[in-house]
Amino acid sequence: MTEMKYQTKPLDIWNEGKALRQQYYENYAKAHEKGGIRWAGGAWAYSAVPAGLGDDVWSLTGEPYGASVAFNKEFAARCQEAIEAKGFARDLCAYLRNYLGSVVLDEYVFGGKFPKPDFMWTTHICCSHAKWYQIASDLEGGVPYFCIDVSTGLIEDFNERRREYVVNQLLDGIDWLEQTTGRDYDDQKLIQAVYNECEATSLWAEICALNRTIPAPLDEKTMYSLYVFGTIIKHRPEIVDFYRKLRDEVQERVDNKIAAVGNEQRRVITDTQPPWGFLEIFRYLETFGVVSVGSLYTFSLIGAWEVKDDGTWGPRTTPQEQGIDITTRKQALEVLADWTHARPEWQHFYSAQKKSDMMLRIVREWKVDGVMLHYNRGCEGLSLNIAENRLAFKDAGIPVLPFEGNMGDEREFDLERTKKAVDSFLELLGVK
Amino acid sequence: MFDKFKEWYENRHDYAQAWKKQTGGKVLGYFCTYVPEELLIAADILPLRILGSHEAQDVTEPHIFGMFCPFCRDCLAQGLKGRFDYLNGIMISQSCLHIRQTYNSWVKHIPQEFSYYMYMPHGVQTPHAYPYLRGELEVFKKALEKWIGRSISDKDIDRGIEVMNKNRQLMKQVYEFRKQDNPPLTGLEAMYMVVSSQMVEKEEHNQALEAVLKELPNRKLDRNTGTRLMIIGSEDDDTEFVEMVESLDSTLVVDEHCTGTRYFWNEVEPQKDRLAAIAARYIDRPPCPSKDWPERKRFPHILQLAKDYNVEGALVIQQKFCDPHELDMPALRQMLEENGIPTYFLEFDVTVPIGQFKTRVEAFLETFALPDLF
Amino acid sequence: MITAGIDFGAKNVKVVILDDEKIVARGSALTGFDLKIAVKDASEMALKAAGLKLDEITHITETGIGQGSVAFAADSVSEVGANAKAGVKLLPSARTIIDVGAEEARAVKCDESGSMEDFVVNERCAAGAGAFVEAMARALEVELGQMGPMSLKATEAVPMNAQCTVFAESEVVSLIHAQTPKANIARAIHDAIAERVISMVRRLGITEDVLLVGGLAYDVGYVDSMKRGLGVEVHVPELPEYVSAYGAALVAQERAKE
Repeated sequence: MTEMKYQTKPLDIWNEGKALRQQYYENYAKAHEKGGIRWAGGAWAYSAVPAGLGDDVWSLTGEPYGASVAFNKEFAARCQEAIEAKGFARDLCAYLRNYLGSVVLDEYVFGGKFPKPDFMWTTHICCSHAKWYQIASDLEGGVPYFCIDVSTGLIEDFNERRREYVVNQLLDGIDWLEQTTGRDYDDQKLIQAVYNECEATSLWAEICALNRTIPAPLDEKTMYSLYVFGTIIKHRPEIVDFYRKLRDEVQERVDNKIAAVGNEQRRVITDTQPPWGFLEIFRYLETFGVVSVGSLYTFSLIGAWEVKDDGTWGPRTTPQEQGIDITTRKQALEVLADWTHARPEWQHFYSAQKKSDMMLRIVREWKVDGVMLHYNRGCEGLSLNIAENRLAFKDAGIPVLPFEGNMGDEREFDLERTKKAVDSFLELLGVK
Repeated sequence: MFDKFKEWYENRHDYAQAWKKQTGGKVLGYFCTYVPEELLIAADILPLRILGSHEAQDVTEPHIFGMFCPFCRDCLAQGLKGRFDYLNGIMISQSCLHIRQTYNSWVKHIPQEFSYYMYMPHGVQTPHAYPYLRGELEVFKKALEKWIGRSISDKDIDRGIEVMNKNRQLMKQVYEFRKQDNPPLTGLEAMYMVVSSQMVEKEEHNQALEAVLKELPNRKLDRNTGTRLMIIGSEDDDTEFVEMVESLDSTLVVDEHCTGTRYFWNEVEPQKDRLAAIAARYIDRPPCPSKDWPERKRFPHILQLAKDYNVEGALVIQQKFCDPHELDMPALRQMLEENGIPTYFLEFDVTVPIGQFKTRVEAFLETFALPDLF
Repeated sequence: MITAGIDFGAKNVKVVILDDEKIVARGSALTGFDLKIAVKDASEMALKAAGLKLDEITHITETGIGQGSVAFAADSVSEVGANAKAGVKLLPSARTIIDVGAEEARAVKCDESGSMEDFVVNERCAAGAGAFVEAMARALEVELGQMGPMSLKATEAVPMNAQCTVFAESEVVSLIHAQTPKANIARAIHDAIAERVISMVRRLGITEDVLLVGGLAYDVGYVDSMKRGLGVEVHVPELPEYVSAYGAALVAQERAKE
């Protein structure tokens, strides 16, 4: 362990976050007991839209669920075996396999039987999303399923015509939600959910922006537990509230030079989801004073960003801050589509160059010394262009550690070999 | 009589370069059969589908993650090795992530006069996809006009539609012959026919097809038809594999590949709004599994083909790591088997271990020869 | 000053003892199941050859897969770091050092001082390492040491269709049944492994001079395939399997002076 340079302490808000997350999975599981509704879909889904059905509508988003399964290695292995036994290939999305395996076993990772959703509501951006819920719907005996195509390209190309394609699908989706659930749709609830989502995701960007500070107030391992709210209930008021408190606490850490890692001497970023069962890799780095301060993934899968006047990234100005008064269903959906499709992590699906540019921006603005690229066999969506990104860092003279693994299938991660590669990287960074 | 197609397929680069020299026209390489060739033909451009070469290579590792499909790596290798240096431009119509990676890397490392990424929708089952794709075609048309320096008239587009439709009709007519008890053409010949149509000028291809159609009624093959097989799956121009299968007392009588029926099965139905007509054709075509949701509309189509062509068994194949096909595979096999069509699954790489696969296909074919025990 | 480097390979443990920068002794032992026994055997062999006792060695640096398992090593260095250091010492113009051992392939790009600039290690597949050649030699029923010389006698390039060890073995059997001369098959095997290795090294970019180290560099068939595949001259030092241990001993020299 290298020398301690900064004061450090755990986050005060940690336990509140933990409780919120537990509450989320419980709300979903117990929704029916109180006459509520359960839906399942991807973390990329337009989750604010089903909110118009009422406050007792709870969701289970597949990717975070798949990650939760990955933490429980014994259960994950059983899920994977169960879905492979149904004939599904083992190189498919690891979250999808963990989720579908859990459905096949009829076991919820948090205990009890797998809570069957009343409907499925998702979007399609990678090759797996729409097919995932198509299969889930089959496995659950034909659960009603609606999916929105969001493959409209880069945000600079997202003109009115392309937005209309998305909004029209969402409008159809609302009619479908009413028919499927038999409930009346409340536009006011939708509008409030849109405001909430914009605020929550802008707040998350603000929190990440604070991590530019040396020493970093947050390390990425901790951020994983915090950004997750944006992937499960980004439109709910309790998340806005939580992120406000978190923002204040992180600001306080910045003001008082409280570090996430007391011996911080080198700063790195990562890319794509980590191998969830092996976050100890981060601990290992920290013993050499190397701290991961984030990634395009943690910053912007949910974080909403914009380029500020000084040319750097900052939290995106919300519609409410801009004084935009949302009054109709259509307008709410338009605002939400504009907001959603601008997220940086969405852009990388269309251009290797764009993704490299965004990552190089983070390297500059967050004062980063090296980059770890997880060639994630569990997610081809977020591994898209990763080799080209590596070349871009090489050209820019930034040390890179590519390492192969899998976010959700431990059979494809070799801890000892990865540590060895990390050792070489530490030598490159000059700390070992 | 199918030699011409084979010759075109094997000498695609020579053909394209000769075409360029002769016509002074532009050649555009494309990555997915969702590319609207009608507009390219209207612009007097030769569309040429970029396929791999089925040779081992060591140049794509720096650009493509190892678990992306072998086909997308094989395609990029052709570009990196300079085999397509004569191209004037490249384009992709948005489909799976893997081939998108190839396009992204190609654009970055191989200089082009013109490159275009078309936002082909995935949601081909929503009615909103029709106007949306029509709009994308309009944007694309403008980009083409800018590139070639002239406008593309309705008359030009009509010509594009006409020649494409004719190509589709003629190939479908040739496929009709495969329904016969003893088809006068092999699956290998049919494969050469369709893949070559993705490489040469369509008028010329149409002429060759017309010549074939004249002779087919009188053609008899000196071979046993054997077991009637269908082949289904992802991109496949593995002629070595097809030849091997047909050497084992079997015939591939129909396929469901984007190098086969998925490419040409439906036509543009003329409307006054030409772009809307083209858009409808691509929205309604037999889908790639990446676009086949929420319903699996591909399945009834496959079953219909199997019935029409009197199929006894199906080889279901996919490029290794091809997610869209992998995600359909269990349901597809179940559907076929419930309908009395046994299936055999094989995973393809850039090159396939032909000895291994031969043993496996032989074993599958033996099951058809077993006497009924009950 | 006397230092030592220990390299834990998948197949053998290697020890190199230096007096300043001069190699005074080497030792090696099969890795086997008990790493401690292997280290003891290899070090005793080297110490005996050098006529030294363990406590006469000022600094010991280890490298390889079993790092941390030897109590008497002072510290460790990565294999790519050790290779960079040793490679430039052995061939001052070396800038790309490719190390293929029994189970792993790795490569490092370095500057004239032997400092690492970038590195790659192979993915989780043994088809690009020495064990592959061993498995194929068994399939061909040829002594491992004969594989290289035999492949140089090939008359024709035969493509190997299979991309992984398991399939490759049945491919070799098919080729044997097809009466393909063994020499041609041996070359096909070497070309296949070279293709995997070169694929990986291209991530670094090929900067000359290229130095091949690790146990597989003894195999002239592999060296020939690498030369053809890379299209540049390749160099092989004497006793290539000891290069990582030598690098570790050189690092020990530097660290002892710090």
